[in-house]
Amino acid sequence: MFDDIYDEPQEQVDIKEGQLYIDASSWTDWHYINLTATGNKVVKMSIPTEALPSPNGEGAEGLYTYWYDVFGEGLSKHEFRGFTPTASQPEPDEWHIAVHRNNVRTNGGAAYETPYTSMDDLPESSEAFADATFTEDVWNELDVWTIQAQMLQGLIGNQGIKVNPVLSSWLTVSLPPVPPVFTLNNHVFIIKFNDGTYGAIQLENYQSPTGVKCCLTINYKYPY
Amino acid sequence: MRFWLYILFLGMTLVGYAKQDQEGTLPDAGEEPVEGLDSMYYLNDVVVTGTRTPKLLKDAPIQTRVITASDIEKADATNVEDLLQQEMPGVEFSYAMNQLKHMNLCGFGGQGILFMVDGDRLAGETMDDVDFTRLNMANVERIEIVKGAASALYGSHAGGGVINIITKEQTQPWTLNLNARLARYNERRFGGAFGTKGKQLHNMLNVNHTFIDNIHVHNAENPATQIVSTIYGDRTWNVKDRLTYKPTDQLTFVGRAGYFFREVVRTADTPERYRDFSAGVKGLWDITAHDQLEISYSFDQYDKSDFHKINRLDVRDYSNVQNAFRSLYNHYWSTGSVLSVGTDYMHDYLMNKNLGSKTASQSICDAFAQFDWLIDTHWEVVGALRYDYFSDSKSAHFTPKLTARYQPIDHLNLRLGYGMGFRSPALKEKYYNFDMVGIWIIQGNPNLKSEVSHNFNASADYTKGHYNFTLAAYYNNVHNKLTTGVPHYLPGDDKQLYLDYTNLEDYSIYGGEANVQARWDNGFSAKLSYAYTNERLPKDKEGHTINNQYIPARRHSLTARVDWDKQFTSNYGLRLSLNGRFLSAVKNVEFVDYYDISKGTSTIHYPAYTYWKLSVVQHFGKAFKVTTALDNLLNYKPKYHYFNSPLTDGINLMVGLSVDIDKLF
Repeated sequence: MFDDIYDEPQEQVDIKEGQLYIDASSWTDWHYINLTATGNKVVKMSIPTEALPSPNGEGAEGLYTYWYDVFGEGLSKHEFRGFTPTASQPEPDEWHIAVHRNNVRTNGGAAYETPYTSMDDLPESSEAFADATFTEDVWNELDVWTIQAQMLQGLIGNQGIKVNPVLSSWLTVSLPPVPPVFTLNNHVFIIKFNDGTYGAIQLENYQSPTGVKCCLTINYKYPY
Repeated sequence: MRFWLYILFLGMTLVGYAKQDQEGTLPDAGEEPVEGLDSMYYLNDVVVTGTRTPKLLKDAPIQTRVITASDIEKADATNVEDLLQQEMPGVEFSYAMNQLKHMNLCGFGGQGILFMVDGDRLAGETMDDVDFTRLNMANVERIEIVKGAASALYGSHAGGGVINIITKEQTQPWTLNLNARLARYNERRFGGAFGTKGKQLHNMLNVNHTFIDNIHVHNAENPATQIVSTIYGDRTWNVKDRLTYKPTDQLTFVGRAGYFFREVVRTADTPERYRDFSAGVKGLWDITAHDQLEISYSFDQYDKSDFHKINRLDVRDYSNVQNAFRSLYNHYWSTGSVLSVGTDYMHDYLMNKNLGSKTASQSICDAFAQFDWLIDTHWEVVGALRYDYFSDSKSAHFTPKLTARYQPIDHLNLRLGYGMGFRSPALKEKYYNFDMVGIWIIQGNPNLKSEVSHNFNASADYTKGHYNFTLAAYYNNVHNKLTTGVPHYLPGDDKQLYLDYTNLEDYSIYGGEANVQARWDNGFSAKLSYAYTNERLPKDKEGHTINNQYIPARRHSLTARVDWDKQFTSNYGLRLSLNGRFLSAVKNVEFVDYYDISKGTSTIHYPAYTYWKLSVVQHFGKAFKVTTALDNLLNYKPKYHYFNSPLTDGINLMVGLSVDIDKLF
């Protein structure tokens, strides 16, 4: 009874032109997005979790286990607890950005956060941001949470990989409290890609119709 | 053995029935109490829960603890949790998983204690406990607590006892009360009650609103087990209306409706919402001076939903709907003996997104008979037998009860009793399938048996001069306790753990209670209550020690209260109250590592604590009351906020104002 008080979430997400929807809620996958003037292509690739007998390549790729003070001071207080070398993160031949939950990487690009909160308000072209300071991807072994098996004890296995800190600020996860708080930053970001092209991107929503977190509705403009 | 027990109960009932050759009249539940020793301790108050018939508290064959409206006012409690913790030893509210409230009363969890409002069951559960926040203390006349198995009268879930909240009847032509209380953490409590009484109709409307912020608490490093860093506040609305119609002296109809809403913001973008819709109709017919019939229908729907703020969607993921019909016939003899015969039907519907089939339902019907045989002025014996049938499992259950009361001298009552309690498996326990944050999958078990307990109890109460004493002892033997068992892997899959609902091995709970009250002519009164509870932890059928998801009862607990009342002038009165509780330390067996159960279990030590409250109540004229209270007077701050720590981070000032508008005129 009293069904009218409640809502029935729709199964599908209504995607408009210049928008894409990605279920990036998986802890163990990166979703690679290749933008074109006529659309986009998304490819999912798993994060390697199988342990190698010895470090691969430069020796930094792998899973870093950290303890976080999730019931106390939060994520800023953490301790390194272990490293497991793994294979390198596989990537498709062509891609512009990749998303994993609240994390974003670029394919050798750099990003700038604008004060705009609507794609419609952006200047005509990216030339307006010629003097802006763009930030490249930086090494990170704290944020790409991959192994959640011991999360309730504050232990999380993270992928060591380069991510873009500016783009990743579009969705912030903070602890405590438990469960974590997700904060959406709806500013538009400008991305300078490694081929010299520019794109504009904005996170509009991070929930699926049924409320699953890290299901991303992204507005984009490419080329910009 | 069980067969002969039933024969004995039936025989006792028939013998008692045959001896009643005189007929009496119905007791008047609304009879004014007699002034004197008995009224001082409310012994002339009428209680109904122990026998489902009105009995004076001093003559009740089943020991009944009553928390009066006066006690509730002194405690300034918001809901039943606040009240019981202040008023009763042996009761503790702690957290279960995800900060959901769990009650332990004398070794029985919330699953084994039946909560009722005016005799009606409540729908909905979380971790098997009802939502205690919906049981607010506005418009409560009294709370009757019967400890020990009461399934012979109330059926399933009454193995540990019954807590029956009795609401007030409107007695004045009209009343209007408005009240408010403010405290730390942005705590707000607002209430209003409007009552009218005519010749045949009376009505009482209550509206209450509460709010409290989330409280972030500090913990020391290296806790021994799970702790709480944020105590989640909530926002509630509670609206209740009760309409009584008395067309003749013999007929009474009562209609009621209620709405409850609670919102908890555990995650800012997805607040959790809880709603309850309730309604009911009851008819009471005094057929003759010796016969009474009560027929009622009760509806209760408890829903849980998540509000997705970004998508503006309120998505329901749980709904429990109970439709219940009840009938009760009482015949009274002039000797004071009473025969009660009744039957009930309830349809129980459950929608839960974590059920395998999403929905499940069953019908439950029962019939019972009780004979309350007042043999003479010294002896009273009560026997009851009940039959319950559950459609989902196609199973039946017989439940007996036998109690004797002996009054050797005035104001001394000795009671001895045996009662069987049982809890049939809930639909959730049979059909659940829930992935618990990657730790394990909790699985229902359709083959569960009913949990059965045997309760033996003895008590004595004595009133003399300014003093009232109560002593009680009990022993419970519990078979097939319903709970989750030992985590296990399925054959061929060593990655995914499963935690099944199961029946555990026998275990026992025993304990006792001592209570002394005093009231002096100089305005002072005092009450001291002590409870001892020994809850022997159960093992599984293979003898394995299990991880106890609920922290067991503390062995020693004590509550104390001292009041001083003084009416200085006709326009100014003052009451000072100091009350507190002490709870001893307790140990629990828990997994060392929830993700690797091969590491085994360890015993966690939870510390003792004491908690006090000082309140000053000032009456100005007849209409105004100002309450100022210091809660957590000793400024106790737990080193670690474990799941059974008091929900505090220090002393709290509370200020309240209550105005009886009708008394202004």
